[in-house]
Amino acid sequence: MTMDRRTVLGLGGVATAGVVLAPGMTLIASPQPDKTEASGDQRWAMLIDVNKCDSDCTACTKACRQENNVPLFGDPNRDIHWIRKLEIRDKEHKRPSVSLPVLCNHCEHPPCAHVCPTQATFKRKDGIVLVDKHRCIGCRYCMLACPYKARSLVYHKTTIPEDGNPKVPIRAKGVVEKCNFCVHLVDEGEKPACVQACSKEGKNAMIFGDLNDPDSEISVKVRTVKTQTIRADLGLKPHVFYEGL
Amino acid sequence: MRSLQSHPVKFTVLLALVWAFVLVLPTMVVASGHGAAAQQSKVAYSGGPPQLEKAKGDACIRESGWMRRNHMDFLKHRRAETVREGLRIRSESLVRCAECHQSHEKFCDQCHNYVGVAPDCFECHSYPK
Amino acid sequence: MLSNFTKIEGRSFSYWRIIILLGVLILMGAGAFIAVEVQGHGITGMNNKIAWGVPHVFAISLLVMASGALNLGSMSTVFAVKQFKQFGRFSAFLAIALLVGGLAVLMLDLGRPDRLLLTVMHMNFRSMFTLNVFLYSGFIVLCVLYLWSMFEYQQYTKVVGSAAFMWRVILTTGTGSIFGVLHAREVFHSALTAPTFVALSLSSGTAISIILLVTTFKHTKRELEDKVVFGLRNALIFFTLLVAYLLVVEKFTKMYSPAFYDVQSWILTGPYSWLYIFGVWGATILVPLGILFHPAKGNSIKGVYWAAFSAVIGTFAMVAHILLAGQAYPLNMFPGYEVSSVFLDGVSATYTPALVEFILGFGGIAITGIIYMLGIKFFRMLPDKAVAPEGYELPWNP
Repeated sequence: MTMDRRTVLGLGGVATAGVVLAPGMTLIASPQPDKTEASGDQRWAMLIDVNKCDSDCTACTKACRQENNVPLFGDPNRDIHWIRKLEIRDKEHKRPSVSLPVLCNHCEHPPCAHVCPTQATFKRKDGIVLVDKHRCIGCRYCMLACPYKARSLVYHKTTIPEDGNPKVPIRAKGVVEKCNFCVHLVDEGEKPACVQACSKEGKNAMIFGDLNDPDSEISVKVRTVKTQTIRADLGLKPHVFYEGL
Repeated sequence: MRSLQSHPVKFTVLLALVWAFVLVLPTMVVASGHGAAAQQSKVAYSGGPPQLEKAKGDACIRESGWMRRNHMDFLKHRRAETVREGLRIRSESLVRCAECHQSHEKFCDQCHNYVGVAPDCFECHSYPK
Repeated sequence: MLSNFTKIEGRSFSYWRIIILLGVLILMGAGAFIAVEVQGHGITGMNNKIAWGVPHVFAISLLVMASGALNLGSMSTVFAVKQFKQFGRFSAFLAIALLVGGLAVLMLDLGRPDRLLLTVMHMNFRSMFTLNVFLYSGFIVLCVLYLWSMFEYQQYTKVVGSAAFMWRVILTTGTGSIFGVLHAREVFHSALTAPTFVALSLSSGTAISIILLVTTFKHTKRELEDKVVFGLRNALIFFTLLVAYLLVVEKFTKMYSPAFYDVQSWILTGPYSWLYIFGVWGATILVPLGILFHPAKGNSIKGVYWAAFSAVIGTFAMVAHILLAGQAYPLNMFPGYEVSSVFLDGVSATYTPALVEFILGFGGIAITGIIYMLGIKFFRMLPDKAVAPEGYELPWNP
């Protein structure tokens, strides 16, 4: 069998288009199969480059509020923060202060899940620590156990906001909630809202990915760059890594 | 002098009463419908069999009779699997219900009010009114 | 020495006055509970830093006292202290009453109490709460059996009483471990937290028993021999010293290590220092010991009564300090750094308890009170007269 010139050119064109499109397609997220399930083959994690994080940038926290319908009650003691910006400075004031976001660390050994009497807080197979709000009895023991202050009780009734995100449920009062790595986006092959916002509006300081995949950007970074986790001494193995802390 | 035998009985009764009190209080709250956010739109039911709004699509994901009897188990079990195991069946997700049944007041609430149940799903999950 | 147990008459005006007062308190407590459930925890003073407030202080203090109330029974059954045998029934019954009162507050302060049954449907055996569910229910069962054996089957009292004694030590260890196991909380993370709770249960249980015995015997015009009370006084002195010893060891160990300088100086000078100095040391330790060691006051029933009163107040203060100061101390996420944020990181939390929390807490105390009042009316809990056995001499007095 022989191919005429046109056919060969055509095939080449298709192949080239494939090569060009393929990386682009991973960015848009490849179409999901109808049925997916969390699996232990993945281990989601985040890496935050503190050097890139500006102290006056709040793109991540804003995006989180918008995506997850996280309300502000106007009372700093009771406002719900899934992710918040922290300013830290050494006590002697010898070095400039550093700004960084803090969110749920999705620990390998989450103390919140250890103390939960109903297993409402649990670690999913892919490492995301979640609160099953249908099961939480509001005992608030997890809020005492978490070293990162990542958890908030819903003190007031909230309503579905007009400009809210209909894909994410709001919350009933009396249960505890926290960052869930935007699990609804992760399951669709997308990245958490804060990471997306950081790359679009911010300084691209946040990376999200699968630590079990040796070729993922985050795996490569964690292997090659010096990273730290918050309160590593507690032995919880947090999965939010910080570079340049 | 009264028989000693009667004491344990009385005692058990007293204990039972105390525990009944402790357990009944929360139950009362649930029953009163105040259980945190259990208040759905409680439209008083006004006579006649429920009139459901006609669905938009051609066919439901299951046969209608099956859905009528089992949708709650379906939603509830799927709910646990979705939250805890990350199970996502896109063709059968809750969000897609609204594509055909476009109003919970004209569809869901019709039957729920008729039989007097007030599930609190849509206190948190959004669904077209 | 065989005591003759009788019910109290419970027909007097003052008896009914107390019952009605307690009833009103319970109704108010129920009202407070419903208010919190309908309005949400927004109407309490709690916030995202102090997530456990005044209701937990009441609940945990009552639970600590519940195991302590078993002291008198244990002393007679396990340690063969004869003059306390006549209080065995009283002691086991009071333990149940206090436990029920405490548990009621604990459960009614949940964010979603309607989902309480989930705790038994989806147990997490790593949670101290789940273990405590078993410890509390087991304790109630053992106390009922203990009580039953004392009423009916005296031959089993020794076995059940010993089991109840062991159980209550484990129980209070479990209560203390709710706090002790939390690594991130520097104020109360310590292996000594649980033993301190056990010691506190011993002192507060003895104290609440002294208060109730002296008051009940006085108002029912029964005879309570001074020597018996002074025996309890000596126990209270010893138990209070035990609490002081554990507190000192814990402080000494922590103050020795520079890593704890910050938190220790915060405890002594921070916003909750008044609670630590006047509550933990003053009311729990120094005031009772000062009164009890006083040559005149320590040898008067009135003095012992007030010392016991102070010890009970001190128990609430101590639990309040562990809970509130423990939560108010900022989490040390970046050791060696100053932290600030919109979520009030790096500053001590503030907490102004709302009235509704106190009403809920007093409702729990009222449940305990009404169980006790009805118990002594309908069952033969208390002896006609409480006297020391023949030839009993106090080992020592101040």
